[in-house]
Amino acid sequence: MQILAQLLVSGVAVGMIYGVIAFGYQLTFATSKTLNFGQGEALMLGALVGLTVASFVGYWVMLPIVLAFGLLQGAVVERLGVRPAIKSKSESGWIMATIALGIIFKNLAENIWGRDDLKFPSPIGERSIEVMGVRVLPMEIAIVAGALAMMLAVELFNRRSVFGKAVVATANDRDAAGLMGINTGQVITFSFALSSMVAALAGVLVAPVTLTGATMGSALGLKAFAVAIIGGLNSGLGVVVGGLILGITENLTGYYLSTGYKDVPGLVLLLLVLSFKPSGLFGKKTIKKV
Amino acid sequence: MLRVENLVAGYGKVQVLHGLSMQVAEGQLVTLIGSNGAGKTTTLRALSGMIRPESGRITLHGADIAGLPSHAITRRGLAHSPEGRRVFSTLSVADNLVMGAFPRLTGSRPRGDVAADLDRMFALFPRLAERRAQLAGTLSGGEQQMLAMARALMLNPDVLLLDEPSMGLSPRLVSEVFATIARLRESRVTMLLVEQFAAAALDVADFGYVMENGRLSASGPAAALRDDPAVRAAYLGTAH
Ligand SMILES: Nc1ncnc2c1ncn2[C@@H]1O[C@H](COP(=O)(O)OP(=O)(O)OP(=O)(O)O)[C@@H](O)[C@H]1O
Ligand SMILES: [Mg+2]
Repeated sequence: MQILAQLLVSGVAVGMIYGVIAFGYQLTFATSKTLNFGQGEALMLGALVGLTVASFVGYWVMLPIVLAFGLLQGAVVERLGVRPAIKSKSESGWIMATIALGIIFKNLAENIWGRDDLKFPSPIGERSIEVMGVRVLPMEIAIVAGALAMMLAVELFNRRSVFGKAVVATANDRDAAGLMGINTGQVITFSFALSSMVAALAGVLVAPVTLTGATMGSALGLKAFAVAIIGGLNSGLGVVVGGLILGITENLTGYYLSTGYKDVPGLVLLLLVLSFKPSGLFGKKTIKKV
Repeated sequence: MLRVENLVAGYGKVQVLHGLSMQVAEGQLVTLIGSNGAGKTTTLRALSGMIRPESGRITLHGADIAGLPSHAITRRGLAHSPEGRRVFSTLSVADNLVMGAFPRLTGSRPRGDVAADLDRMFALFPRLAERRAQLAGTLSGGEQQMLAMARALMLNPDVLLLDEPSMGLSPRLVSEVFATIARLRESRVTMLLVEQFAAAALDVADFGYVMENGRLSASGPAAALRDDPAVRAAYLGTAH
């Protein structure tokens, strides 16, 4: 029982990371029907830039700098990789372009930070807290809180501010949004910026509990993609639930079966969802009145 | 106010408009009628930048706007209530109206009193007032049509393009929409109205253009067109 509770708790932390990266996939999908397949690399860059910046200015000043870096990095990906493909009405150009940019970012990181994994010190201590026999790392709590805060902030922005509503309008109907005087090209750039910013923050959050290095993002980005599909690319809460499901099943499989099979349940789940409910477990069929 | 010269436009390689010239004077209600597929919607799309004209000039306040992206044209004061309503389905009725005022709220148009205009729209369309917090996607077709029109008006436009505002409405709502259009004309809103109900459109309009296969086949003061035997035979039904 104790062990099960322990597995659940650590599964939740990893699951939140999957969820928040998947949330990033949703952001760009909503406005442009495209994804940044370099989300994992955006996370990795966020962690490494954060590590370096923190060594100069300390952890807390580093946070806003990493957020700004994430915004910029996402905007670059959209301008270089996605916009030309959207303009030329290419169905798949953006897939290749964002994957290619991801690989370039990974190579760049290997050259700057080396191939070895680095240690990202936890800002709030590494000693685990014991709650009813279950050990929790302070950073695991920070991951859950940080991820939820991030998603809540974006949601509030979309619902309350005029610019946020313009993002929702663009997601609903891009041409009609243009007729409102909304520069929808800028909105799409912004959604890529936001999605990379979310990933960069996820990187900073997860780095202290994993190792930090150029390759840390690839698997995370891929699994979060599975979560986005499982949860539904247009269902806000679905990705959190999907992330938690994946994080927990991975942990359970790793313990009760073998760590060798850890990645299997997520992929099986992905295949099942794709064949039985392609809009995702929580995806709503788009309601469109004609 | 709005002047179109030799407009050529279409979709990809398919040319739909073959050199169209027309104008809408300030404070006037001009209607554009014609049979299905004549190119009326395409004309409005080219005017508002939803499609890029191949050639020709479109001037608004004397400045050429042909080829500008639609957000730039809107910011210059042209509002377009498009065919098929196109309301923002996951935004509330009130937020849809706020989006209509986006250029005013973000500094690219004179701000004026947005809240007062919102109230004005709710007074003009009481059905929307009752549903202001409802998601636009859950409105009935007729309510969405009113919302699309009110949303375009929220720009405080210099020119308003209306594409079949009566489409899909019950006869009672159709006459309500025409009454609203007549009231807007009274308050000197400059409008270009595309309508399937040609007779009703010519009744409220100052001037009319008749379109056939991407070209104008007739034009003139609305009253004159209404009495034109050729126009009557083709668009108004002979038993009028
Ligand atoms: N998106 C599009 N792609 C290709 N062709 C189009 C497109 N939209 C319209 N057309 C074609 O352009 C021509 C003019 O269409 P348009 O919609 O402008 O007609 P309309 O006068 O508005 O007709 P209706 O009264 O039925 O609304 C038609 O032949 C139509 O098939
Ligand atoms: Mg039409």
